Amino acid sequence: MNRIGTVAVWAVVTLCVLTLITLPINMQTQLIASITIVALMALIKILKGEGIWRLVALALGTAIILRYVYWRSTSTLPPISQLENFIPGFLLYLAEMYSVGMLALSLFVVSMPLPPRTGRTSEVKSLPRVDVFVPSYNEDEALLANTLAAAKAMDYPADRLQVWLLDDGSTEQKRNSHKVLEAQAALARHDTLRRLCEELGVRYLTRARNEHAKAGNLNNGLAHSDGELVAVFDADHAPARDFLRETVGYFDDDPKLFLVQTPHFFLNPDPLERNLRTFEKMPSENEMFYGIIQRGLDKWNAAFFCGSAAVLSRRALKETDGFSGVSITEDCETAIALHARGWNSVYVDKPLIAGLQPATFASFIGQRSRWAQGMIQILRFRFPLFKRGLSIPQRLCYMSSTLFWFFPFPRTMFLIAPLFYLFFDLQIFTASGGEFLGYTLAYMLVNMMMQNYLYGTFRWPWISELYEYVQSVHLLPAVVSVILNPRKPTFKVTAKDESVLVSRLSEISRPFFVIFTVLFIALLVSVYRFYAEPYKADVTLVVGGWNLLNLIIAGCALGVVSERGEKSASRRVRVSRRCDFVTDGHSFPATIENVSANGARVQVYGIDRQNVGFDMDAVIRFVPYGGDEPEELPVQVRNVEGHGDLTAIGCRFTPCVARHHSLVADLIFANSNQWSDFQLARRGNPGILFGTLWFLRVALYQTSRGLVYLLRSAKPGARVAKAGEAGPGVAGEATR
Amino acid sequence: MRAVLAAALIASSTLSAPLYAQQPFDMSGERSPDATGAPPQPPPAPAESPEAPPAAPEASPGGPLPQPAGATTGQRMFVIPSDRLSLAGETANREWTVYLTPEQAEAASKLNFGYRNSIYVAPEASTLSVFVNDTLIGEGPIQSPGDVSDKSFEIPYGLMRPGTNKIGFRAAQRHRTDCTVQSTYELWSDVVPERTFLEFDAAKMTAQPTLDDIRAVGVNALGQTRFNIVVPKLEQSATMTPLLRLSQALGMLAAMPNQVFEFSTGLPAKAEAGELTVVVGTAAELEVILPRLPDGARSGGIAAFMENPATGAPILVLTGPSWQSVESVVDNILAPVDRPPDVTRAVLATQRWTGMNTPLLTGSARLPFSALGLKSAEFSGRRFRTGFHVGIPSDFYGDAYGEARILLDAAYSRDVLPGSHIDVYVNGSIASTVPITRAGGDVLRHHPIRFTMRHFRPGANLIEIEAVLQTRADQICSPGTTASNEPRFALFDTSEFRVGDFARIAQLPNLAAVAGTGFPYGRGGETVDLIVERTDNQTLSATATLLSQLSVMAGRPIRTVPKASAAATGGNAIFVGQISQIPPVALAQTHLSEEAAKIWGTSAQSASADANTDMLDEWRQKTSSSSWQKPFAAVSEWLDRTFDISLGSLRFRPGEEAMFVPPDTANVVMAQGIGPSGGGAWLVLTAPTPEKLQSGAATLTRNANWERLSGSLTLFGIGDTPMESRPVTRVDFLPTQPFSFWNYRLIAANWLSTNILSYAVLLACLSVLLGLVTFSLLGRFGKGR
Repeated sequence: MNRIGTVAVWAVVTLCVLTLITLPINMQTQLIASITIVALMALIKILKGEGIWRLVALALGTAIILRYVYWRSTSTLPPISQLENFIPGFLLYLAEMYSVGMLALSLFVVSMPLPPRTGRTSEVKSLPRVDVFVPSYNEDEALLANTLAAAKAMDYPADRLQVWLLDDGSTEQKRNSHKVLEAQAALARHDTLRRLCEELGVRYLTRARNEHAKAGNLNNGLAHSDGELVAVFDADHAPARDFLRETVGYFDDDPKLFLVQTPHFFLNPDPLERNLRTFEKMPSENEMFYGIIQRGLDKWNAAFFCGSAAVLSRRALKETDGFSGVSITEDCETAIALHARGWNSVYVDKPLIAGLQPATFASFIGQRSRWAQGMIQILRFRFPLFKRGLSIPQRLCYMSSTLFWFFPFPRTMFLIAPLFYLFFDLQIFTASGGEFLGYTLAYMLVNMMMQNYLYGTFRWPWISELYEYVQSVHLLPAVVSVILNPRKPTFKVTAKDESVLVSRLSEISRPFFVIFTVLFIALLVSVYRFYAEPYKADVTLVVGGWNLLNLIIAGCALGVVSERGEKSASRRVRVSRRCDFVTDGHSFPATIENVSANGARVQVYGIDRQNVGFDMDAVIRFVPYGGDEPEELPVQVRNVEGHGDLTAIGCRFTPCVARHHSLVADLIFANSNQWSDFQLARRGNPGILFGTLWFLRVALYQTSRGLVYLLRSAKPGARVAKAGEAGPGVAGEATR
Repeated sequence: MRAVLAAALIASSTLSAPLYAQQPFDMSGERSPDATGAPPQPPPAPAESPEAPPAAPEASPGGPLPQPAGATTGQRMFVIPSDRLSLAGETANREWTVYLTPEQAEAASKLNFGYRNSIYVAPEASTLSVFVNDTLIGEGPIQSPGDVSDKSFEIPYGLMRPGTNKIGFRAAQRHRTDCTVQSTYELWSDVVPERTFLEFDAAKMTAQPTLDDIRAVGVNALGQTRFNIVVPKLEQSATMTPLLRLSQALGMLAAMPNQVFEFSTGLPAKAEAGELTVVVGTAAELEVILPRLPDGARSGGIAAFMENPATGAPILVLTGPSWQSVESVVDNILAPVDRPPDVTRAVLATQRWTGMNTPLLTGSARLPFSALGLKSAEFSGRRFRTGFHVGIPSDFYGDAYGEARILLDAAYSRDVLPGSHIDVYVNGSIASTVPITRAGGDVLRHHPIRFTMRHFRPGANLIEIEAVLQTRADQICSPGTTASNEPRFALFDTSEFRVGDFARIAQLPNLAAVAGTGFPYGRGGETVDLIVERTDNQTLSATATLLSQLSVMAGRPIRTVPKASAAATGGNAIFVGQISQIPPVALAQTHLSEEAAKIWGTSAQSASADANTDMLDEWRQKTSSSSWQKPFAAVSEWLDRTFDISLGSLRFRPGEEAMFVPPDTANVVMAQGIGPSGGGAWLVLTAPTPEKLQSGAATLTRNANWERLSGSLTLFGIGDTPMESRPVTRVDFLPTQPFSFWNYRLIAANWLSTNILSYAVLLACLSVLLGLVTFSLLGRFGKGR
């Protein structure tokens, strides 16, 4: 069958399905149909149907969702004559339709994602010259040293690889600032980084003025370099050794290729993962995007540039005069421009860089605000649906990516909708208890099953809702502001090197407690009304249940904004690497157990614990991936413990020369397989039932934790005491 | 007294223009208005007509039951078109129309009625009002809890008009002591038909009856209308067709709810109210029973009123030199009520019992309550109920999925507590409940109430709105609370009844469609085969009663073609006869067992086996479930009530319909089936004996019973539930509308809502197919091909 024939058949079948779905059947029929389809979907799920069954299950779910949409549109809106009901009712309806629309778009994107590409390491005819750009604004030397060292250590002919530090933190503008403090800092930074670059063999570049933020900085880099390919790494994104080997080959295959994007892998948890303690066992938030959505986008040749961890073609960038800078998400904007010009992109689903993400809730929100505002700017200025040059699938893909960021509106609507009834007795959704059972409940169930089908191993039940809720509270004003003033937002660099040493409430946690209180009062009201007004107990039950769901999520969010103090400032990566631990001229066989940017924990065999003291200098000797000879990395002992022949020694790196940074980078970043393994270990689908139970447990615990933090913070002087307590924690950093 | 009261030659040319049921029918074309002695539109007169002589002594209020003797029929006219008229609840309103000749309209002086009421009705707070043509002619307290009280209200001169006049009774009743909603069900007043009549000024009743008097035939004390058709030579089979056409013409002219036809060969010995005797035959045949024939009867067809020599009551004589001329007279009577095949009706002729003709909705419609005969009303009690009729075509097929809406304009005061509710009933079954949830009063503007069309049936449907209002005052119920006139609820006639397009396809068998619009026998342009094996008086009477009823419902006469045997029929057919006379093939097609022909009515059947299940049910109710089971029982009951899914509705194909033997308690059976060739709907009316057939036809066609015909078979007998119906198990569809995608979509919706498992399977299969096709589509597009 040719393509036109397939499309025709598909259109006919779709038309039949739509005709059947838009029949005004009665409630009994709907109920039986819902039960049948939910049962079929569950059956496919239990039998772990993949491939063609995945699409069958999705089609079954789509049928129920379209039934719901049809019914919701034709039967449930309050009469327009009752404006007090109609307006909130219609807003809720819009919110639901937005959700359904987004589900439709994401179905299009991810119903059949490309399988992960097998490595493209060999058979490169000619290795092109690559310029590696590491744009920096305010990151400190140690962080940059690691990144630059890792970039420099990439497995690629040295003569064809040039690493650039694009320093926007010490531009002429900054160095000549009228503020003396700023000027002095910029001057100092300029000198330090210059020296670092010289030591590492990296080219240092800065410019006159901080124009067009990151895009301008990168364009400045483009103007001063001439490699055929450009790799971009954020200052905190250190590449693995095989980064270029895995990516460059694709440019050989396709002359019209402009981008090879790889996932962002984070060594540290985001605030939610950290405060909920899910980093080790639950897939990260961004894994849904990099694990499946980008693969889905790649199917439609719409994988887009994410600002870092990507290789781009200079030839392509020349066509658009470099990186576009209208929006504050220059990466996606550049990708749209190049896709519209007929260039192609490729996504490689293997973590090849490791980076940091914001540690505090406030900077997490700041980062998300930038993404949301940037994507809405793109929607506003480059409206992808009508962007000439894009293929229809690409348009849909970009619409999906940009429209996603309107989620604060529906999320807010879902949050407050039950309150209209509970507090003001408005009827914004006209349905009987039976209809609710036959339509709404079936819709919700099917929706969850479809989400689980699509993203099950990458996203556990209710976690999307939680992420959306915690972001919505602060993103809503940001999104509203960018809609009103699309040109106003400016590029702000997200701080990623913060750490929370003391347990405390986030500085932007107050709205969460207010919302929680309101929802809790609503819960009490619903209980009261259930008994006081028996004639509408069914409606109260449904609305109260909905509110309870919101309350559970809001309660869980209290845990998210209650920042747990952490002893370690930077995240340890579990490695297993043979080495020798050398102290006082004696060498002991040892294994590096885990490593962070600042230190490592080593299991040493046969050392006399008495001879190892605090602050003692030592050396770890190991063979880096990038060389054949063992090299030495100086450390300082921080902590010793052990049983029998094995002694665990916590030590801090004391790098003196640039080469030491390379060695640290080699320890942490060289082996990309360890990141894949870590990700795979977290990927598991708990299923809707167990996922829900698990979430309930977490939510209950986090609610109590949030309330305890609130009580503590209310006590005067509590913070001071906590700060004092934290002291030894800082000292004991990198010990455990 | 003159032998001939009036004679009117019917010239076919004067009546050739077809007139329809709603238009006044007047055959007294040649007669000048002055003949009645009064102008046709008399000026409005004061309440007491000075010309009216004192009421006849036997008609005085509280007097003995008036004897419906022939001597008084000229002065009195029973008006209630049913055997009982009950005004129940706190507010009740009943309206209907009567047809008066110009002479009667002129002479009408009083409306007498007898009533009695429930002991609970508080006389000081309850009023019975009587209306004529929407004008109040009198009202008074309801205070007759013991015996029937008679009341008499003067009819202002000029209020009654020649032709159709509306009579209305309205009761506002309050309980003596109780303030609960439950107590309102104890409130009723019965207006007694046999004591309710119009009284005419005898002095003005001198004019001669004309053919117009056919419409004014009226009712007897039981609300029945009887046509005695006297045919001296009844046994000639060739006369059957004109006689049946005549009975349909008479039935359609009168259009009364309970009409009975009785054939006999001799003149009746007694004249009764609500009765018209029609003598039919050639001049030669009639000579035997009539002392004199109308002038010119030997030269041409003639229809004339004469006096019954035995009773002195007027009789209608149809005669001529031959049967052909008699037939032409019949055709002339029939012509004005006939309706060409391509003309559709906008209304159903129900005004004689509902007060106004019922609008017939053939699709999407919106009707304000004012157009449905409702008026804005304020209400101070606790249970307000009012209703209206809407007509639905016989090919209505939206019972499973359809929804109608009422956009309610109403208001309730701040006294009304949440927990009150507004309910909608369709033909007596609850269809929707809207709780009032807001305290403090509210004005509802076009508040939508959606309700299922499940209880709709072809023909006129009664839709009622009931507001059940709870107040704090009622909960306290201090003395005098019930008498309060503080309005709590108001319903405005700007409210709308709205219905969208519904699926239209005829279903066979469907007795409800037969009852509603005479479908499919009343379809224009089609003939109906009539198989009546033996034309005895009783069978012929039953046939005439049935056909007349069908033609009234269909709004046009049924064009019957007599057929000798079932084998000769190809299309629609009607079989009337004693069960042993019905052809076996007709029994088989209507799923009546052949056994029935032998054993029905012979007491050979064993007693009903239902006794056991009844007993079981009783015991179930007696044993109360323990308290911890209650929530489960409540949930299961809620599920039952809300979804009403039985295992039967989960079947893919209906089971084979079992052959049916009517129980001995059944007196008459009406059944419908499909002809053996697959085309044509066969209707069988049968009973064990000719006598039961005749009385059974009369019973079934009584309006109250006729409206309840349903399924493929309905029987009427004796017992607690005399009327029983068998649901249709296998339906044949008969397209009635030109093909349109929209209609077929709705038909599919209804079919799938009836066969609900089919929908689930179809949806699942199509979705699976969509999944497969999408898989193949995605495989051909994008990367990774």
